[in-house]
Amino acid sequence: MTVFDIAIVGGGPAGLAAAERTLAAGLSTCVIDEQQRPGGQILRQPPAGFSVPGWLSGAPYRKGRALLDKVSDDAKLNWLGGHSVLGITPDPAGEAGFTLALSGTMGGVSEVQAKRVLVAGGCYDMPVALPGWTLPGVMSAGAVQTMVKAQQVLPGQRVVLFGTHPLMIVLAQQIIEAGGQVEAVCFAQSFAQMAKAALAHLPRAITMPAPLIAAAGGMAVLRRAGVQVRYGAPVLRSEGEGLGGVEQVVIAGPKGEEAIACDLAAMCYGFLPQADLVRQVGAGVRWSNPAGGWEAVHDDAMRSTVPGLYVAGETTGVAGSDAAMAEGAIAGLAIAQDAGVLTARDASAAMRGPRSARKAMQGFIDLLRAVGDPRPWLPAASAETLLCRCEDIPAGAVDKAIADALAVGPSFGASAIKLRCRAGMGLCQGRSCEHAVIRRIAAARSCAEEEVDGFRPRFPARSLAIADLLDDAG
Amino acid sequence: MKRIEQGVTRPAQIAVEIDGARVMVHPGETVAVAVLASASQRFRDDRSGAARGMFCNMGTCSECTVWAAVGTSPWRRLRGCLVPVEPSLRISTRDPESRP
Repeated sequence: MTVFDIAIVGGGPAGLAAAERTLAAGLSTCVIDEQQRPGGQILRQPPAGFSVPGWLSGAPYRKGRALLDKVSDDAKLNWLGGHSVLGITPDPAGEAGFTLALSGTMGGVSEVQAKRVLVAGGCYDMPVALPGWTLPGVMSAGAVQTMVKAQQVLPGQRVVLFGTHPLMIVLAQQIIEAGGQVEAVCFAQSFAQMAKAALAHLPRAITMPAPLIAAAGGMAVLRRAGVQVRYGAPVLRSEGEGLGGVEQVVIAGPKGEEAIACDLAAMCYGFLPQADLVRQVGAGVRWSNPAGGWEAVHDDAMRSTVPGLYVAGETTGVAGSDAAMAEGAIAGLAIAQDAGVLTARDASAAMRGPRSARKAMQGFIDLLRAVGDPRPWLPAASAETLLCRCEDIPAGAVDKAIADALAVGPSFGASAIKLRCRAGMGLCQGRSCEHAVIRRIAAARSCAEEEVDGFRPRFPARSLAIADLLDDAG
Repeated sequence: MKRIEQGVTRPAQIAVEIDGARVMVHPGETVAVAVLASASQRFRDDRSGAARGMFCNMGTCSECTVWAAVGTSPWRRLRGCLVPVEPSLRISTRDPESRP
């Protein structure tokens, strides 16, 4: 079996930027991604058979698209699209430092061996449980955005966006440009609260004016289209009857409850790092603020706490695609250095550019995190609201399990709750409900989320058919 | 669901089968889009019998998991948002083995 010098998990901006550097250094490089084509979620491409000449032509995508074109065109890149990584097993004694177990998104299992591994898994929309959120037609903002960008479809005709994250402005603009109708954009926080948070960070953020200008441009498009952008308008629940799915969302308006009709409601409360593989290997993570989830910790060259395992991009904390590209470049250089094909001096010199670029972004990243901080605005689930979507476990059952565990003693984590009530035991492997279970445990234990152990990360990180594993064993 | 027509050229449509009904889709579209194209947001029923839809469209939540088979091949469960359609594809939003 081929042993790659480096296996990169995730073909988004971080993974591609790392691949650019490892390929330039002459390392055999494979990139594994669940999507058919490279780009990640931010640059999720239309299918190869489609022609979309105006695809992501805006300025914010320019740098990423140039990277995507360059790395995709490199004949030396081993692209393993349509594959999920189920687990990473270190083998420090063997020639291959790591074995990665893969499954095809259409079925079948296989293995890849590599001397080093970079996890650049990106992030995903925080799933926020509120009454009615399991109705068909209630989706994450990222779901709608990737439908528009890549599949070139609008999953609904009358759209309400709700949450706390400013990405809603960008998405609303994309929906309008695609011919959709945005009924309302509902920010839970007030405009004054957003402005106050923005002003506090503006002096450091102004060094990166491009994203601020893009946001202002997006607001102008919404104004021209007559879209109502509401502030201080937290969504309490979504409602619908029968098989038709969501019919309206109900917000707490200035004059009491107010219903807004829609056939698609997209939530946008921020993003959680994809770090399940990192956790499975046993590398260090910490609670990610403000949105939550676990982010991988690393040294100043993106080395994780496990030798030979590197991390970059949103897996290390959600900071946007420009930061991901800078971190990916640093990781790629560190990998080349550790593989002995780049001297420490050359690596350090080459890292100077991406490091200073990454540092310059921090002001804007902090501004965005402060403006979109979801923590004060997470909607309340009712006792009947399903917290665990896979196993249909309501919030009331999770809270009872937490109360029962607390009666035994205060030092329990999410896995203890999983055993008591099955929350987190389903197909998503706990990715959807873990953050919510941890928040509820932390509240019950009166401690920080950081102090609550998450679900024990297990193989396989993605669901697969038992028959595939049995076939492989046979 | 509505396809964006302006500025997009797609390959000619093919037919797939969803819960026994014929649905026209373009090669490259995902199984999830095929289900939406059948004019339904429903991907499955939960334990209470309530209809459930897709949620994340990026492979993390598994809410779009359906049964699929090509021609007479055995049914397998897969995440509809990650898998492109192909000719002779059959999709089921209910367990095909448990049907009467």
